[in-house]
Amino acid sequence: MRKFLVFLIVALALMVFAKDFIVVGTTDKIRSLDPARCYDYFSSNILQNVMVGLVDYKIGTSILKPMLAESWDVLDGGKTYVFHLRKDAVFEDGTPIDAHVFKYSFDRVIKLNGDPAFLLSDVVEKTEVVDDYTFKVTLKYPFSAFISVLGYTVAYPVNPKVYPENEFYEDVPSASGPYRVKEWIRDVRIVLEENPKFFGEKPKTKVIIINFYESAATLRLALETGEIDVAYRHLDPRDIIDLKGREDIVVYEGASPQIRYLVINVTQKPFDDKRVRKAIAYAVDRKRIIEDVFVGLAKPLYSLIPEGMWSHKNVFPERDLEKAKELLKEAGYDEKHPLTIDLWYTPTHYGTTEADVAQVLKESLEETGVIKVNIKYAEWSTYIDYFLEGAMGLFLLGWYPDYLDPDDYVWPFLSESGAKSLGSFYSNKFVEELMIKARGFTGESARIPFYEKVQNILAEDVPYIPLWQGVATCAAKKSVKGILLEPTQIFRYYILYEE
Amino acid sequence: MSLKAYIITRIILAIPMMLILLSLIFFILRIIPGDPVKAILGGKAPIEVIERKRHELGLDKPIPIQFVEYLGKLMKGDMGKSTLTGRPVWDELMERFPATVELTLFGFSIAVLIGVFWGAEAARKKDKTMDVSARVFAMLMYAIPIFWLGLMFQFLFGMILRWFPVGGRISAAVSLKPITGLYILDSLIQGNWAALKDVLWHLVLPGTTLGLVISSIFLRMVRNNTVLMLSQDFVKAAKARGIKEKVVLYRHALKNAFVPILTMMGLQLALLLAGAVLTETTFSWPGLGSYLIMKIRYRDFPAIQGTVVFFAFIVVIISILVDIINALVDPRVRY
Repeated sequence: MRKFLVFLIVALALMVFAKDFIVVGTTDKIRSLDPARCYDYFSSNILQNVMVGLVDYKIGTSILKPMLAESWDVLDGGKTYVFHLRKDAVFEDGTPIDAHVFKYSFDRVIKLNGDPAFLLSDVVEKTEVVDDYTFKVTLKYPFSAFISVLGYTVAYPVNPKVYPENEFYEDVPSASGPYRVKEWIRDVRIVLEENPKFFGEKPKTKVIIINFYESAATLRLALETGEIDVAYRHLDPRDIIDLKGREDIVVYEGASPQIRYLVINVTQKPFDDKRVRKAIAYAVDRKRIIEDVFVGLAKPLYSLIPEGMWSHKNVFPERDLEKAKELLKEAGYDEKHPLTIDLWYTPTHYGTTEADVAQVLKESLEETGVIKVNIKYAEWSTYIDYFLEGAMGLFLLGWYPDYLDPDDYVWPFLSESGAKSLGSFYSNKFVEELMIKARGFTGESARIPFYEKVQNILAEDVPYIPLWQGVATCAAKKSVKGILLEPTQIFRYYILYEE
Repeated sequence: MSLKAYIITRIILAIPMMLILLSLIFFILRIIPGDPVKAILGGKAPIEVIERKRHELGLDKPIPIQFVEYLGKLMKGDMGKSTLTGRPVWDELMERFPATVELTLFGFSIAVLIGVFWGAEAARKKDKTMDVSARVFAMLMYAIPIFWLGLMFQFLFGMILRWFPVGGRISAAVSLKPITGLYILDSLIQGNWAALKDVLWHLVLPGTTLGLVISSIFLRMVRNNTVLMLSQDFVKAAKARGIKEKVVLYRHALKNAFVPILTMMGLQLALLLAGAVLTETTFSWPGLGSYLIMKIRYRDFPAIQGTVVFFAFIVVIISILVDIINALVDPRVRY
């Protein structure tokens, strides 16, 4: 009896004092929790946990599934989408999420013209309420990737009672997802708690507290001292390696849709010569970048469409210094008359490893004996100015997709307007036609041949040289379970729990 | 000049000073390379979107017109909206400023305590162990990079000894409703003793780091000025009259040495209130320093201008206060 009582007291104490929250640390920041304005990773991340959209990705995959839309019809050759909405979804204040809310939200995004608005305004002709739970969108042209766009936060419905029509809203969002925002102190922390009005599965942990840190060093220390349970974005690669050696901490790695590449301004000498561009493509040493700079925490990339994305094809060659020298000789460069070029990078925007990447690239290109590289750098806002003006001939850049579709890995790079906004100034009508045709088909199998041709031309014309694709990392206490680094980069707090 | 006239003169002189500073910042920001809209959107949004955004923000207008419009709004108390977040700059400053105030006051208090008392004692025991150790300490603290000291404290006291947290203002599990933004005051107002203890605990490492480094400046200045004063005839006369050594030191020598020290302390306080960037970054302290760095990175003109105007205002207020105190302490100052 006595033993039973002791057991009961201990069990009760554990229940009372058991932690029903998980603390996450990050060096990222939230810029805006208004879907009409949100266009940075972490703001999207929070919205993906407190709100839902027409569609969502199946957990752990890049396969879309119905969410607020139970089903949809694609009509008029892909120009019209009719969504049949579920009838039990509400915001946290009980306001139903119906077709009127969707029309309000979509029209609001386009009207306010915030940072991500072009994702809808470029393709959406008009929106209509067919009935309370049927929402119709007519596009300007057939766009098979439109469903993927709807997976992004820009297409999330907002509560008309909370989000004003004519201005952005910068306060706590009105939740429709598994969590609601209980407290938000900008740049200090945000507290998410279970949303009782959510129609779907309850989160595994009632409360998630996210602390914001200024440096990776402090983030790492916070994890090691137990101040936080999970460190997500951005630990330094070397910190990751060190943490792997600890028994009480688990390091998770997952595919990242981020790609990194060199941009070549094809209108600037000497890069207007295709042989020079191809020579550089043969001379880059992806392996060394990954091993020396990222200590293995990245994957080599041989196309702009990353590995893991359907239609990916390795089109760029492996390193071949002899081939590089041969091409440069044809272009008129040799040991006595070397090719002298500037290589640009930006020191902080992509993390602290950029200078090292630039150095490795310099050394790899100079190994040909025929290239001399001057490394230059500019801080992010100046960097953008320079490449938009065409001042930089060869520079490092990165890309996170807005929606998970091969279209978002080729159109922004190889269309004339896209190439202009990325500083390559590449123009090829045939490639553009291929991409437009691909957009007109639905279904992967119909679109793959177009993207394969596009990638072949990419490797032939070399306006960009893909270098590596990121590996997402996260470190957490051993007791924290449910961490999944998804190919979509959606980090779902509602599946985390502590054992 | 009477004290009143002196104060009025100082206040009037502050206006052109602020205007010159504001103009300098405004025009320099627009001359250096780096467009704010491109910094936020560039590489992602099409060029037409960038151009449309520039037009919405008035950045396509001639610079003199932008300046006049900005001044007009500033007169009405409108600092504009951050191009990065779209929120009023004033609101963002008021969110960040209390964190800086708390850290500054804590660090400043440590610096003053160390600087004044150790400096005075070092002057009294010139060239003895107290003095030599003070000078070595001051030199060390001045030479040590503050972020390195902070990292070492985090490692030793946070990581190894687990005595203090390594960053932030408050623990995740502690709930405190921000009222003033000064967490110590907020917890006292709410009678939230758990939060008070937690907030003070979080202040120790960053505040001590800041305080130790700043104390090096105060320590040397107090010590040197007091040594000078101690060699003055009036001090010798006071000693000859049999006044106790500590009274001679603190009431006579130190008090007379204090005018330049007070000026320097005031200006240092003003500098700290602009945000101790490195300390804030090391300890993830969400103050004005880290705020300004982030805004500069994105060329957030309204936020940068607003922060600088705010900082200029603080410096002006503090320097006026310091001058008034100096004028009160030493009437010779106002003539």
